[in-house]
Amino acid sequence: MSEQRESFPLVDTSQPNLLEEMFDYSLPPKICFDGPIVEYVDGQPVQFDPQTLRSRDIFITDTTFRDGQQARPPYTADQMVRIYDLLGQLGGPKGIIRQTEFFLYTHNDRLALDRCRELGHRYPECTGWIRAVEGDFELVKQMGLKETGMLTSCSDYHIFEKLKFKSRKECMDAYCRVVDEAYENSVRPRCHLEDITRADLDGFVFPFVERLMRMSEQVPEHMKVKIRMCDTMGFGLSFPGASLPRSIPKLIYKMNKQVGVPSHRLEWHGHNDFHKVHINGVTAWLYGCDALNTTLFGYGERTGNPPLEGAVFEYIGIKHDLCGIRTEVITELAEYMQSIGFPIAENYPFVGRNFNTTRAGIHAGGLRQDERIYNIFDTTKLLRRPPRVAITDKSGADGVALWVNEYFRLDGREKISKIKCHKVARWVMDQYEKHGRMSAISDEEMEAKVKELMPHYWNKYKGGAEASKT
Amino acid sequence: MASIQERVIAVTARVLQLDPREISLEDSFTTDLGAESVQSVELVASFEEEFGIEMDEDAALSVPTVGEAVAFITEVCKQQGKPL
Repeated sequence: MSEQRESFPLVDTSQPNLLEEMFDYSLPPKICFDGPIVEYVDGQPVQFDPQTLRSRDIFITDTTFRDGQQARPPYTADQMVRIYDLLGQLGGPKGIIRQTEFFLYTHNDRLALDRCRELGHRYPECTGWIRAVEGDFELVKQMGLKETGMLTSCSDYHIFEKLKFKSRKECMDAYCRVVDEAYENSVRPRCHLEDITRADLDGFVFPFVERLMRMSEQVPEHMKVKIRMCDTMGFGLSFPGASLPRSIPKLIYKMNKQVGVPSHRLEWHGHNDFHKVHINGVTAWLYGCDALNTTLFGYGERTGNPPLEGAVFEYIGIKHDLCGIRTEVITELAEYMQSIGFPIAENYPFVGRNFNTTRAGIHAGGLRQDERIYNIFDTTKLLRRPPRVAITDKSGADGVALWVNEYFRLDGREKISKIKCHKVARWVMDQYEKHGRMSAISDEEMEAKVKELMPHYWNKYKGGAEASKT
Repeated sequence: MASIQERVIAVTARVLQLDPREISLEDSFTTDLGAESVQSVELVASFEEEFGIEMDEDAALSVPTVGEAVAFITEVCKQQGKPL
């Protein structure tokens, strides 16, 4: 590779280059690639073409009611039905959120599943989740499900230390008996290869999946086994060149091209123990795994799973199109989850109270001139969340003016200048400079001060609304 | 009646809490007179009130010195038909 330095002369212009082809404000930023990616597998260079992502039928699956629920007290059936209904609206008619899975062990689990199916949504398709033991399969049959996930842990930590099998063969035979039972009952098996990023791939995982592929030869396409690769401890690595079993690119390549599991039957399930959960999931998409398993707001066992809403925005960025996804439902889901006691951090992307709130006055000044300067995309359109400013000693008159205009919902030529907001700006500064205040100023305090110090504007824009309340 | 210059200096002194005798036409609002961000906005608002005019926000806030403010306000008053 050439290391010759190049010259980069200034391209002077009076017209800004806002790179709007990539940063189309009406969408999440488009994800673009320049060419193929090369990874070395078994010492040989292998090319992956990321451009195919735009045409491949990648999709999102959901485990909010299974892994998500393992990290919290049980949802009521009513809550699950509401969440399921909203997931269906969010994913749109193309089924970008294609499946969701249910525990089948309690009466409440089964009631919720029945009621979700009664809604009649095509997507997300309801599937089950069981341990790979023959007794558990009875539950799948009772519920009449077409597909179920089954726990087929594949590292020796699980095979020997947790499940106490005497040998790998004994373990594999036991798993395969349950898969056979699934086929006998016309249920599609989805094998969840727990702890795969800490497993002996050549010694157990690939031989097991090969055997599953052979077993699938006897059944029609819609019944063939699916493989969920579970990065149970979050050990997976997205970096090119990383070694197996932690390398996601190599793992997926081997499953896909060497063992022969087609992309549409491969699924990635991650955990966030090392802060890699989202990018690892998207990496799985990139290297040939079509399904990304997620939970709402990333809530799941221990540190959580790939956040569903993050996958949604990544999906749109990859496809350069909304693809029928109703992103505004994400806000509705967040509001609903918070109403039932689900905590969402204020700085949590896309839904936290302050995800698009700026505090620095100089940033507020930028926002006031053109919201694109400090807003990631048109959050008003895509999430029904206009960019906001939090009022502190750093807000300045720009921040106060932005707050006031957002409060009165004024746009374009109607916007009130910061000159007209000077009394409120002075009151804010005095709070910190004269009164030694240390906390941010709440929206309620700002409302009261705007009413007191800007009565003309208050009466003009809020007077009617106030009068109609009385 | 006080001149525009005297009125500009009087407003500046009141907003920035200075002795008007210490203010000269060459003084920069920020570096010489110490106007901070919110005070600059208050100055423009006070000039508007004093002279009964509306000023373009960006143009008014970019006026650097007291003398240039006198000239800027004189021009705006003329444009908006305000008695000088």
